[in-house]
Amino acid sequence: MAFGLRRPFQPKGPDRFAVNIGARERAVVKAVCEDLLGALEDPAAEPLLRRVYPVAHVTDATIDAAYQEMVHSDLVTSRRQALERIIASTEEKELDREQLESWMIGLNTVRLVLGTRLDVGEDSPPELEPDDPDLPAWAVYEFLGGMVDAIVRSSAETL
Amino acid sequence: MNRTAGINVIRLADAPVEVRDPDIDETLGVDRPWVVLVWNDPINLMTYVTFVLQKVFGYSREKAEAMMLEVHNNGRSVVSSGTREKAELDVFRLHEHGLWATMQQD
Repeated sequence: MAFGLRRPFQPKGPDRFAVNIGARERAVVKAVCEDLLGALEDPAAEPLLRRVYPVAHVTDATIDAAYQEMVHSDLVTSRRQALERIIASTEEKELDREQLESWMIGLNTVRLVLGTRLDVGEDSPPELEPDDPDLPAWAVYEFLGGMVDAIVRSSAETL
Repeated sequence: MNRTAGINVIRLADAPVEVRDPDIDETLGVDRPWVVLVWNDPINLMTYVTFVLQKVFGYSREKAEAMMLEVHNNGRSVVSSGTREKAELDVFRLHEHGLWATMQQD
């Protein structure tokens, strides 16, 4: 991904990271997070959220139901918080570790939902025609993959 | 191969091993441990899965990477075990990070 020579999330001492991404990238980050915040409240989007709220037990529905009852609202809240933290910090020149973690979890969640919509499999991405209507969604999916990967690398080396 | 070492191997193999019958635990009602599994999925990045395992469980990079590779190559990996309560908490933290995790009694 062409971010230029600077790393997109350059570690700057303990718990500080310089955000070296352009205005267009920041706008995309903000837009996809706002989209997902809306989708979290939208019952029609539920099938796309199955990777966001996975089953906890493969064969025992009772155990899964008990788990879902216990944690589902907490999962919804933590997702919403991560997205809201990203939206509030898209213009920042620097992020602390907690903010960067929200970026990582929030953008990865967007990726999960987008990947579900695009039906991403082991052999993806497929060959797409230039006029394929899914082309923009694939571009955003790939972009988010680069962002999450960059955040992971910068976070891991300062762990 | 060293002759003495060879004899030792045979002795070890022939030695009676104390085996606990797993059914006994069940009839006594002793809790079998719960295990937490992470399943392969085509969306989460390999670097991301490794990092989440390091962060959530405090595993070394080497250990987390080995688990991630097992997920990738074998379709799943056991990443933690313990009581049902611990398994539920671990699954929750993995779900918070978007990993495809389940729990089951071993």
